[in-house]
Formats: sequence, structure tokens, C-alpha cells
Amino acid sequence: MTLAIGDGANDVSMIQMADVGVGINGQEGGQAVMASDFSMGQFRFLVPLLLVHGHWNYQRMGYMILYNFYKNATFVLVLFWYVLYTSFTLTTAITEWSSLLYTVLYTSLPTIVVGILDKDLSKSTLLAYPKLYGSGQRNEKYNLNLFVLNMLEALWQSLVVFYIPYFAYRQSTIGMSSLGDLWALASVIVVNMQLAMDIIRWNWIIHVFVWGTIAATVICLFVIDSIWVLPGYGAIYHIMGQGLFWLLLLIIVVTAMVPHFAIKAFSEHFVPSDIQIGREIEKFEALNQCVYGPFIC
Amino acid sequence: FIFDFFNARLHFGCSRMQMYPLEMEGNSNPKTTNKPKYSKFTQQELPACKPLLTPEIVIAAFALIGALFVPIGLASLHASRQVVELVHRYDASCVPVDDKVGFIQNSRTDKTCTVTMTVPKYMKSPIHVYYLIDGFYQNHRRYVRSRSDKQLRYKSAAHLTSDCVPEGDTADHAPIVPCGLVAWSLFNDTYTVRVNGVVTQVNKKDIAWKSDKNNKFGKNIYPSNFQKGRLIGGATLNESIPLSEQEDLIVWMRTAALPTFRKLYGRIEKDINANDNVTVVIQNNYNTYSFGGSKALVLSTASWIGGKNNFIGIAYLTIGGLCLSLAMGFLVLYMVKRRNFGDPSNLSWNR
Repeated sequence: MTLAIGDGANDVSMIQMADVGVGINGQEGGQAVMASDFSMGQFRFLVPLLLVHGHWNYQRMGYMILYNFYKNATFVLVLFWYVLYTSFTLTTAITEWSSLLYTVLYTSLPTIVVGILDKDLSKSTLLAYPKLYGSGQRNEKYNLNLFVLNMLEALWQSLVVFYIPYFAYRQSTIGMSSLGDLWALASVIVVNMQLAMDIIRWNWIIHVFVWGTIAATVICLFVIDSIWVLPGYGAIYHIMGQGLFWLLLLIIVVTAMVPHFAIKAFSEHFVPSDIQIGREIEKFEALNQCVYGPFIC
Repeated sequence: FIFDFFNARLHFGCSRMQMYPLEMEGNSNPKTTNKPKYSKFTQQELPACKPLLTPEIVIAAFALIGALFVPIGLASLHASRQVVELVHRYDASCVPVDDKVGFIQNSRTDKTCTVTMTVPKYMKSPIHVYYLIDGFYQNHRRYVRSRSDKQLRYKSAAHLTSDCVPEGDTADHAPIVPCGLVAWSLFNDTYTVRVNGVVTQVNKKDIAWKSDKNNKFGKNIYPSNFQKGRLIGGATLNESIPLSEQEDLIVWMRTAALPTFRKLYGRIEKDINANDNVTVVIQNNYNTYSFGGSKALVLSTASWIGGKNNFIGIAYLTIGGLCLSLAMGFLVLYMVKRRNFGDPSNLSWNR
């Protein structure tokens, strides 16, 4: 990947040929700016553009793509396991309205907010240790290993979300809508807990959207089950009155998260990446020294 | 001189001599600056907490989960062991002939059958009587859709039977109320219970959900044209009782989630002592033989955990034990391989 930076008319062809072209708007005129992907006022702005914004952009995009695949896979796999028990007809485990609202409401807003606001390292750390930029060059946040791990986690979590209620309710009087409500709520909570575990910087907006989405899911389930025309009428009120529902919800969430938590704890301590060390430096060591020159700190 | 000035700027990149062009003229005038208004949100400087997994947090989390789950598991297992449940499969033993399908479909055969059970432990009332069916896919897609909820509630919607095909209208195009395969396949075995020879009444009131009885099934809707066709799928309904009081129908129409399910038949409101003989006279009407299903009678006491199910207790104990062992494993690992936190010498280019 090449980045070309220039400010004059003679730099236009170089900027156009490069993968990323940066034009400087200055004394030499505006031709370079018009041909470029990014434009700025001074050459020295290139440093924060790459080291700070480029790094943040890579980290956010990588995580969001992986997370989006994961959350949709988890949900669809839960529906898939149910098909095995409906004589292979495509009855949805989860009510149709909840299936629709899953991507639209139950899991979309936290994804967007985290993709916009989350940062792994602060601006000062990234500028103080420019070699942290290498994590993007080495594909550390988006690669095949991470994708496979993500899909395995989706598989595990869908199995937990589906089979724990299945074994608990296997020969009981449970109705399809009641069990569907448990599966829907458990999926949404598990998927949002996974996001919550990976969020690095919790500001008030992220708090509101993550916990608010779970609350919105509960409200939607109540609303859907209060419409008498739908088959699930009254189901959520009935099942939430049983102690077994809450016990199952607790064990589903914990069991689904244990592997992710254990892997995270292990890899962050015993095989830490530079980003992880950077996070620890931010938290445990005051950044009051400038080692790399007068114009970067 | 001007050329040297620009040359110097290009070589030293970020020299202090360079200024933003517009700021050269009247740089104290706020209208000519393009600098955006500062806000914490747009500059991504919102105050935030940055939780980090330290060894203490990891071990504490696993230990806490273990310490919480093991007692819950033990309590759940205890509650499940307290439930007294009698399950008696009767579909095979109640039809002595080989051609079971023919037997059950023949309206002239005597389908009375007697089943005896001995109660192992004291059963406290109310004792729930269920019928347990296996191999019946009430969650089959076409079956689940074959009903009309509007028709069940509003008299004026009686003609809305398009979803109920093939049990929507009679041959004369009169609407069937209630229509659909779900209602058509209503379970029709009956149980008469005797405890030590004394007939014990099974209370069949209030077995359906209140919300269904009040809001989903109409108080002025009466069954009509029901089970009048050539193929009879199950029970017939008393045409003088409104749908909101046909509790067996309401219970049956709450479709079960899985192919093995039980549904509430009624409640016995007397206690049954240990070693009592419970005799049930069954009218074995329902045809589960055509599709290889099975039927069983279940008598069960109730508890906060529902019926008898050891699974939840075992699951909690397993996860609790796993978390405790993970806590200990991590403790050993942290002591064996220590690392200084926030040490820049661990960065890959410093090692």
C-alpha cells in the first residue's frame, strides 16, 4: 500500500496513482487537493492522520466487520438448530416480528455506536509510540484466524442458547411462543454481552445504547406478546413468572461468555499484543515524557 | 529569496514558519478561521472508563460465578428431587391387537383401558394430571399456520377461514368454527382416576391461561360444523359451550415447542399418600398409531422449578465447577508466569 503526499500540480498524477493520495492545500494552489482522497493544510498533519485516525479507523472497521458476521451467525444458527426438531419444516423458533426486529433494533444501534466511538488507544499514546501503527500493517485486527475464531464462538454460543432451554423444557408443557421468547431474549443478551466485553472505552453514549438496547428488546417482547392476533399472545408474561426462566437466562449468558472471557484473559496476559501493552501503559504509567522529537508530542 | 523560503518549508515539513493561508490576514478575526467549534463529542474526547482485565479481576470473576452457581445448582437439584412424578405409557399396552391403526380408527371397538400405578412418595395437592405425547410435531410449519385467530374471537370473522385449509370450510362451503388443523386434531383421551378404589375428581377448570380465556377466545363464539367431515382428527366439541370455556381446546391450541410435549389435563385437589394405589380408567380414543407416536399419562406434583427435571441443577453444578477450576488454573498460571503491567519493555520492538 502506498501513500503519496504532495501539494503542487506536478504531484497530481502521483497522488492519483497511489492507493491513498493526500493533497496539501497551500501556496501551490488547489489542484493537488482536488485530485486527492484526503486533503489538509500542512504536511505535519500527515502524522496524526496516519498514526491516530488511520489506526482508529482500522481497529473500528476490523472489529465491526467481525462482530457483524458473528452476531448474525449466532442468531441464524439458533434458528437452524430448531429446524432439526420441527420435522425439518422451516418453523421459526423466534416469532416473526422478533426475527425482523433483531437486526433492525435489537442489535443494530450498539454496533453503530461502538463502530463510531470506540478507541483502543488514546491520541497521545499513538503519537508517542509510532510503531504501534504496525499493528494495522500486520493485519492484527482483521485476519483469517480472527474470523474463524469468531465463527467458532458464534457456533458455541448458538448451541448454548438453543440447547440449554431445550434440555430444560424437553418434555414439559412449554409452548412455541414462550420458548421462542426465551431464545430471542437470550440471543440478544448474549450478543450484546459479547460486544460489552470487547468495548475498550465506555463513555456515556455507549452505556446508554448497549443497556438501552437490551431494555428495548424486553419492551418489544412485551409489546409483541400483547397483540391478541399473534400466536404468542400472553407468552412472555407467562414464562417470566416462572423461576426456571430466570435461572435459564442466567446460565445461558454465563455459559456462552465463559470461553470468550477465558480466551481474552489468557491472550491479553500471556501473549499480549502491542496494542494491549499500549492500553496498559495508558492505564498504569503516566505519559509525561516525550521521546521522539519536538514536533510529535 | 521567495524560492528559498518555500524550499525550506518543503524540507522541514513542520517548521513553525508555515502558517495556514487564511490566518495570514487578520488572524484574530474569528470569521475567517475554519477551525471547527470544539466539542468533546466531535473531537472524540468524551470522558470514558477504560476497564482492563487484570489477574485479580479474572480470578475474582470466575470464583464469584463458581461460588454463586454451585449453591443454585444444589438448590435446583433438591427442588427437582422433591417433585414426585409418575409416568405411565399406555398406548402400546392399551391396544392388544396387532393392527393398532385399524383398531383405533374403528368407531365400534371398545377403547376402555385400565392402568394401575403405585405412588412411591407422599404427593401433596394440587397434583397435576398431564397427557404426554411423543412424536407429534405441533411445531410443523403448515400445522402451526392452520388456524384463524380472528375467527376465534369475533363472530363477524367466522368466514375468515383461508388460512385453515384443508379444514376451513365444509363440503357445502360453510365455515367451520374453530377451523384449522390445530383444532381438528384435538386430543380426546379421557381419564377417570380412582385412589384406593375411591373415585377422585380431576378438576378440569382453570387449566388454560387466563389471558387466552379472556382475550383470545370469544365468549359468544360457539363451535359449528366441527368434525363433521369424512376424516375425524380428534375430539368433538359441545356446541352449546362457548369457546372461551372450552378449556381442553384452549390448552391444545397453545402449540407445543418440541415434538415430545405434555399438556395439562386437570388437577387432583386431594393429597395422595405413599403406597396408595392409583387406578386410571382411560378411554384410549386418540390415534397416535398412524404416525408412530406414543402416549403416556403423567401425575406430578408442582414446585418452583416446574416439573421433575434434573438438568438445570446438573448444568449449574457443571458450570460452577468449571468456573472454579478455571479460577484455580488461572491463579496457577499467573503465579508461574508473571508479567509487569504497563511495561514498555514488553513492546515488540523493545524486546
